[in-house]
Parts: sequence; structure tokens; C-alpha cells
Amino acid sequence: MIETIELTKTYGKVRAVDGLSFSARPGRVTGFLGLNGSGKSTTLRMLLGLTRPTAGEALIDGKPFTELPQPLRRVGAVLEQGLSHPGQSGRAHLVSQAILAGAGKDRVDRLLELVGLADDAHRRTGDYSLGMRQRLAVATALLGEPDVLVFDEPANGLDPSGMAWLRDLLRDHADAGGTVLISSHLLAELAQLIDDVVIIADGRLREAMPLTELYGLATQRLRVQGADPSRLGQVFEGAGASVTAVEETLEVVGLEAREAGEIAFAEGIPLYELTVETPHLEQIFLDLAGAR
Amino acid sequence: MTALVRSQLYRMVTIRSSWLSIVLFAVLAASFGILEPYWWALFVGIGTFGISVLTVAQHYQHRTAALLYLAQPKRLPVLLALVLTTVGVTLIFAAVTGIPVYFEDDLSQKMYERTLLVVPIMAVFGAATAAIVRRSSWIFYGFGVWFVLIEGLAGQMRWPLPISSYLDAARGVGFGRLFFLGWAVVALAGAALALFRDLTSD
Repeated sequence: MIETIELTKTYGKVRAVDGLSFSARPGRVTGFLGLNGSGKSTTLRMLLGLTRPTAGEALIDGKPFTELPQPLRRVGAVLEQGLSHPGQSGRAHLVSQAILAGAGKDRVDRLLELVGLADDAHRRTGDYSLGMRQRLAVATALLGEPDVLVFDEPANGLDPSGMAWLRDLLRDHADAGGTVLISSHLLAELAQLIDDVVIIADGRLREAMPLTELYGLATQRLRVQGADPSRLGQVFEGAGASVTAVEETLEVVGLEAREAGEIAFAEGIPLYELTVETPHLEQIFLDLAGAR
Repeated sequence: MTALVRSQLYRMVTIRSSWLSIVLFAVLAASFGILEPYWWALFVGIGTFGISVLTVAQHYQHRTAALLYLAQPKRLPVLLALVLTTVGVTLIFAAVTGIPVYFEDDLSQKMYERTLLVVPIMAVFGAATAAIVRRSSWIFYGFGVWFVLIEGLAGQMRWPLPISSYLDAARGVGFGRLFFLGWAVVALAGAALALFRDLTSD
């Protein structure tokens, strides 16, 4: 369980994070979303004890990270774009970290296989692609077999197969009872993975809820094309809807698809398209994060 | 603590630039030792300082300090582990490169023994300085300017400043070791305070 309580960080007069409270629960994947500079990374760094909060608390299983016994056995973290010395091989990097995590070399080799770096294990990490560095960072995070995963932009540089692999990995981790908190700007990818969403803007919480609930908040919109768009628009507005015409297509808010179809039928206007636009995370996120 | 030291030693062995720079300094120090024990002491001092600074500053340069703090969130044990590692490595470095000095004559043997006593202090001084400044290039440029202008030209290597004190300690002159120990303690205290600065991502 991850929890922040009135977490605040100020740099001079700038409040990078401002009274942020949210939680990420076991068995769930929680997406942590915000525009660049919204305070995501600062929050995650406070959670991991790398940055000191000005006020408030960030807790993992009820304790600040700095008070966790054997933290690598409790929390696995991916920060930035893979931290390693560029002159060290991927395997040597993992062995260095395995010594700290109390993990054996067999675990290192298993993880290299898991993240698909076994063939490149002896190459210098400075020669790795961004995607390979991210895979190495994920392997590093998993060394101590932790329950809690905190991943900051882990999908950066991953190709589509890498993203699918990461998605499965995190989903399996949560399904096995683990807690996953992930920040990413790849919202379409994230929408396929997360159960809960936390949206921040200017360091403040905008929304924190299950993703399905967030979708429910979004206004449903219909796309309608018919034989007489102008008349169709008028009758929809007459039924209380708000209508926006985009060339031959009408965007209709305030009617169910069934109602729109019945109205068009009653008016004798043939419909060529009647689509319920599924709300997507990117639009909702932009609406919320951009709102002042 | 043991895990931190083991991990750090493994890291030094597996990063080519780390052990290559140690070998390079070792060859230089040993070569100068054959010519003149005083120069050996000087190169061992500079080498110890360089190894200690690089060992600690690399973690900030490549941001792997975050990985250390994720493993051990209490930062003082991390600093102590890094200091212990540098003390161990530089002692071996000094002991091995000074073998020609040890077998030269009685005076050289004394200098060898005194240098081995003061090398750990230099390792502490270098590691602590790196923990404060965090950037090896700044330290090396600063160190060069300081050594040449302040300690060399202005102080004529007679003022009780860090490198002059180190060399006095190696030669057994006056209170060199005591003064240098004072510098190392001051640097270590500064490092202990500086440790708690936020670890930034850039």
C-alpha cells in the first residue's frame, strides 16, 4: 500500500507538490498522471526517500521509505531512464545491485532472461539502447522480489513488443497481490493497464479514482452522419441536445444513441453513421490536467 | 554495511575505467618510488585522493547514488561504506606501489610506513570532499589550482594546508599528521551535513 498524506515540496517560493494525498492499493495498478513539471517525479522521489518533503508524509506499508527494513525486498523502483554506470556491463550492474538486495547470481541470470537481455548481458550499458536500459532498470527493480513497484516513465524507449511485455509484467504483479504505481506520458498504453488513476496538475490532486469511474465522469458524445445534417441538427437540439457540426458529421452531447436513432427515424432522415464515442484517457486527462 | 562495501568493490573491479586509473596511478607512483621516495609519497597521495574522489563522485555523475539510497535509505552508512572501500583500496594501492621504496634504505622504509599511516586519512579526505562537491571535474580543477597557487606558490608547501600537511606527515615533519587529520575530520563533517541534500535527477 502506497499512501501520501498532504505531501508538499517547495523550492523557494515554488510549490512543486502541494498538499498531495492519494493512495495506491495492493492488487491494483495505479496510473500517476500529470503534465511535464506537474510534480510527478518529485512526488515519486519523496516517496522513495530521495527528496525530503517540506511537509506531509509519503508512506509505503504505513512507513516512510527511509524506515523500511530491507527496502529492496519491499520496493522496486525504476527512475529516470535507467541508472547505471555506462562502463559497467548489464550483468555486472545487476550483480552489484544483487549484492545490495541480498539476491543471488542465479536471480540475476533469471532476470536477464526475463527482460530479454541475456544475449547482451556482457555489453557495456553505455552501448545499450534506451529500451535496453529501461529493461535493465526493470530487472534491477525486480531483484529483491518486492511487493511494491514504483515505476517512473518505464515505457520510455520501449518498442511495441517491449510495451506489451511490460504491461503483462505489471498486470501479473498486481494480480498476484502486488502494488504498482506507474507514471507515464504514453496514455493510450497506460489506459490498457491501469485500474486506478491519480491525476495531478501544478502539484495538486485533480482526480483520484478507479479508471472506470473516471470514464463514467466523462461526457458521452455521439457521432452522427445523416442525409440532411442541418435538419438533423435542429431536431436533436429540439430534443435538448447540444450539437456541433464538423463538416458533414454532427457531434451530439446529451442524447443516448437509441434516442438519437429514434428521433432520426421519426423525422424520416436516413442515418449513415451513429457512433458512441468512447471516452479516452488522453482527452479526459487533458481536460483535467489542463483545467485551472 | 558489508553488502555496501562488497557491492562497491565489485563495481570497482567491473568498471574498466576504475581499475585502469588505479593501475595507471600505481605504475606512476611505483616508478617515481624507484627514483625518489618523496615523489612516491606525493604520487600516492594524489592517487589516493583521485581514487577516493572518483569512487564517490561517479555515483553522483551517473546518478547511481539513487540506487545506493534505495538499498540503504540511511545515508550515513552509505557514506561510511564508500569511505571504508576507498580506505581499503588505497591502502593496498599504497602498500604495493611502495615496495621499491620499502627496500631502498632505512629512511625510505620509515617514509613508507608513515605514508601508509596517512593514506587512509587522505582517502577519507578525498571521499568526503567528493560527497560535498559531487562533481569530480570541479574537484580536480579546484584541487589543481589550489595545489599550485595556494599551497605551492603562496604557502611554499609550509602552511598547514591539506597537501602540505599530508607530505609533512609522510616525512614525519612536525604536526603534519595531526593537521591533516583535522582537515579530514572537517571534510567528513561537511560531507555528513551535505549528504542530506536532495538527490536531484539531473
